[in-house]
Amino acid sequence: MNIVVVGGGAIGSVVTYVLSSRGCKVTLIDKDFPGKATSASAGGLWPVGEAIGLGCGVIFHASQKSGSIDISVADSSGPQPLPRIFMDFLVESNRYFPKLTEELEHHSGIHIETETGTGLLYVIYDENERRYTQSLLDWLDSSDTDVEEWSPAQVNEREPLLTRDQLGGIYFPGDNQVNPMLLVDACIRASTKLGAEYVPNTEVTGITMAGDLVTGVDTDRGHFQCDVLVNAAGAWSAKLAQMMGINIPVFPVRGQILCTEALRNQTLNCNLSTSDCYILQKAHGEILIGSTTEINGFDVEVPLENLIGLAAGAKRAIPALEYATVKRSWSGLRPGTPDEFPILGPMDARPNYFNATGGFRTGIVAAPLSAEIVAAHILGEPQPFDSEPFLADRFKNIEVNIPTS
Amino acid sequence: MTDDLLIIGGGPAGMSAAIEAATHGLVCTIVDESAALGGQIYRPLAVKPNGQTPAATVVRGDELRDQVQQLSQLINIRSESVVWGISKGNKFAVGKEGEGTEILEPKLTLLAPGAYEFVPPFPGWTLPGVMTPGAAQILSKTMNISPGKRVLIAGTGPLLIVIASQLVSNGVEVAGVIEASRQPDWLRLAIRGYRSWGLLREGARCLNTLRKAGVPVHYGRVVTRAEGKDFVQRVYHAPVNADWYPDFSGEQIESVDTLCIGYGLQPRNYLAQLAGCEMQYVDARNSWLPVRDRDLWTSQPGILAAGDGAGVAGAMTAESEGQLAGLVAANKLGKIDESAFDRLRAPIDAKLSRLAPFQKAIADICRIRPGLSSLVDDDTIVCRCEEVTWGEVNAAIDHGGTTFRSLKVMTRLGMGMCQARFCWPAMSRMVASKKNCPVADVGPARPQAPIRPVPLGLIASIPKVPETCE
Repeated sequence: MNIVVVGGGAIGSVVTYVLSSRGCKVTLIDKDFPGKATSASAGGLWPVGEAIGLGCGVIFHASQKSGSIDISVADSSGPQPLPRIFMDFLVESNRYFPKLTEELEHHSGIHIETETGTGLLYVIYDENERRYTQSLLDWLDSSDTDVEEWSPAQVNEREPLLTRDQLGGIYFPGDNQVNPMLLVDACIRASTKLGAEYVPNTEVTGITMAGDLVTGVDTDRGHFQCDVLVNAAGAWSAKLAQMMGINIPVFPVRGQILCTEALRNQTLNCNLSTSDCYILQKAHGEILIGSTTEINGFDVEVPLENLIGLAAGAKRAIPALEYATVKRSWSGLRPGTPDEFPILGPMDARPNYFNATGGFRTGIVAAPLSAEIVAAHILGEPQPFDSEPFLADRFKNIEVNIPTS
Repeated sequence: MTDDLLIIGGGPAGMSAAIEAATHGLVCTIVDESAALGGQIYRPLAVKPNGQTPAATVVRGDELRDQVQQLSQLINIRSESVVWGISKGNKFAVGKEGEGTEILEPKLTLLAPGAYEFVPPFPGWTLPGVMTPGAAQILSKTMNISPGKRVLIAGTGPLLIVIASQLVSNGVEVAGVIEASRQPDWLRLAIRGYRSWGLLREGARCLNTLRKAGVPVHYGRVVTRAEGKDFVQRVYHAPVNADWYPDFSGEQIESVDTLCIGYGLQPRNYLAQLAGCEMQYVDARNSWLPVRDRDLWTSQPGILAAGDGAGVAGAMTAESEGQLAGLVAANKLGKIDESAFDRLRAPIDAKLSRLAPFQKAIADICRIRPGLSSLVDDDTIVCRCEEVTWGEVNAAIDHGGTTFRSLKVMTRLGMGMCQARFCWPAMSRMVASKKNCPVADVGPARPQAPIRPVPLGLIASIPKVPETCE
C-alpha cells in the first residue's frame, strides 16, 4: 500500500513517522524546503491551559474584542472553554510525548527538547480576569485536573522576574513544552531511516482520480501514485481538498512570534501566558513571545503594530525583558476550523482519502494522538480515542461560516 | 509632519540625496545609526589631527555635513536611530534606545544603508587579533588606537592598500599586504582608468607610502589559515591560481599579532528584502541586489535605492546616485518639471557613466572566486554566533538542507545575534560549490524585523501616531 502524505508540518511529519514505524510505505510531499513548516508554533504543550482558553485562546479573544478582557462566562462574551472531550483528547495526546521523544532520539539522533516540570502559569492582572478565571476553574472541576491557584506571592516566588503588579495566577503543572522544529525534523529523519521517502520543495498541482478514489498526486516534480492520500497541508489543506472536489472548512490563522537573544537558562521557570501574550524560554535560552492570532488570509507579513504589542505585553509581564535583545520575529499560518476542533480521519465522499488537519493552536500537543487516530483509520485498527467528533463529516448539512478579516 | 522623503543611511548617498531633495524643497528625514553623518567612509574624526592634512574622505565628509547643516530647515536628522522594521512597503519603524519607536509613513523612501565587509571563513579566523580592515580603520583613524603591534593586511580590493597606508602613517608596523587578485590586472586598470585618475592618484599615493615604509604587497596570494595560542601569532598564505585555489606547497608564514582581512564589501540588502523589493543575484558583485530602473526605483512603489547598499561601487558613485535619487524624488513629488529634471540629471548621468567602467573593472578584478570556499576544514567554525562548524553544515547539506532556512533549523546556522548577515554570504557560496549549482539557486538569507538586534524596550514603546499632512 502506497501512502502519500501531503504537508511536512507537525501533523504530517508525525503521521509519516507513525505509519513508517508500522511498516507502511509512505511518501511525504512538502511544498517547502525542510524547516519552513510549523513556523506559527512556539512549541507549547498545554493540554489543559489551551483547552480552557488560557493559552493562545485568551490572546485571540482579547484581540477580537480589542482591549483588555472584560468578560465573564455568564454573558458568554469571553473565550469559552472547549467541550470537555477536547481537553481529554489533548491530555491523552500529551502523554505520548515522553515515549515519542525517546523513540525519535533513538531513530534520528535528535532530542526534541521535551521538557517536564516547567508548567504553564497564567498571570491574572485585574479583577475582571480573576472573575473570569474563577469561572473557568469552577467549570474545570479541579478535583480531577492538574491545576493550582497561586497567590501573588507564590507567583513571584516561583517566577522572580514576573511583575509585582498582578493578582496571582493559575498554574497547570502538566503543561510543558517541546521544540516544534526539532519535532518535525526528527520525525522526518526517523521516517526516512524507516524507509519513508521525503520529497521537499515540491508543490502539488493536481490530484488524479478514478471515480471517488484518489489514484495519485501531480506535482511540479512529477506524478506520485498512491493507494491512500493523507491531507496534512495545514492552513492550505482546504485548497488541497478542493483539488479532489471536496470542501473542508479550514482557514489560515496568522500568528507572529518575537524571539530574543539566548538568555541564561531558567531566566524563566514556567511557560507564561497573559491576556497579552505568551512567553516561554526554549532549551537554547531564547525567549519566544507570541502570538497574535489573526484571520487575514494567507498574508504572512509581520505588521509592526503587532510586534510592538507583543513586546509591550512581554515587558508588562516581565519588566526586566525591556533590556533583552530581540533578534528576530516571524509569522506563520495555523490551520483554523470553525469549532476549533481538528479534522481527522476519513470522509464518506472519498474512500481512500484521510484528513489530518485543523490543528489550529493545539496542533503540536495534539499531533501524536491525531496521528494515531489517522493511522488507525487508514489501517482499520481500533480507534485509540473516541474520534467521532473530529470527522470532517460533522460539517455536513450545516452551514459553515468561515471567518474573514 | 509627513516626510516627503525618508532617507535610511547617512553616508555619501544619503547625504547627497538629502541635499539635492531639500534644495528642491522636499522635507527629508535622515535616519542613521551613528552619532554623526558620514557613514563608514566619510566618518568624521574623533580627534582633530595636529598639523596634519586631513584625509580627502574627511574633508569631503565635512563639506557634505556642512551642506546638510545649511538645509537644516528641511532636513531632519535622526542620529543613533535604526529602522528596525518595514510593513506594507511604506510604514517604517524607527527606534532609538531610550526613546522607543515611532512609525513613519513618508511619501517616498530612499534606501541608502551602505555596505559591510565580506570575510569568508578559514581555519583560525575566529582567533582574537583577526579583524576586518574596516575595524582596524575605525580604531586607527577615529579613535587613534593601534589595532596591533605588527599587522598583516589581507583579502582583496582597493581598500587594502588605502588602509595599510593609513596605518603606516599612524606609525603602525605593517608586515605586508596580501592581495588575492593579480598585479597585471591592476596595472591594466591603471592604463584603462585614466578618466578616473583622481582615484588612481590616491592609489598611487598609498602604494608610494607603503614602498617608502618598506611594506611588501604580495599579489595572487590568499591567507590560508591563522594560528596562535589565545590570540593570532602566525598567519599562513599561499599563491592561488586563476580561480583562487591555493597551492599549499608555496605556503609562507608571517609572524604577526594582528590580521586584518576582508574580501571587499557586501551590500546591506536586508531593508530592500524586508520592503519586498525584487532582488537579483549579481555574481560580479557577489551579492543579492535590489532590481532598479534607470531612475533608481526599486520594484516597490515609492522606494528608491542608492549607493553601496544597492551595488557596491564606491563613495563617488554613491554620491552621484544619492544626488540622482534626490532629484528623482523632487520630480516625482512635482517640485521640478520634466524639462528641468532632464536638464539637471544630465550631468549626474554623465558622471555615473564616467565612473561605471572603472568601478566595473575593479569589481571584476576583485570578483570572489570559488577557491576561496575551499579553505575550511570540518572543524572550522562557519557561524560565529552559534559556533556551528563546517562539518555540521556539510552533514546537513547531505541531508537535503540547501537553503538558509533548512540549514538553520538543522544546525542553528545564522540563528544568533547577526541573523546570518555575517555567515550567509560565504555559506551560500559554499553550499553552491558543494551542490555544484549557481549561488543564486541557494538563495539569500531571509531577513525579518528587527533587521538589527535591538532591546525589547525599544520595540515595546507605544508608537506615536504620525500626524497627517492635510
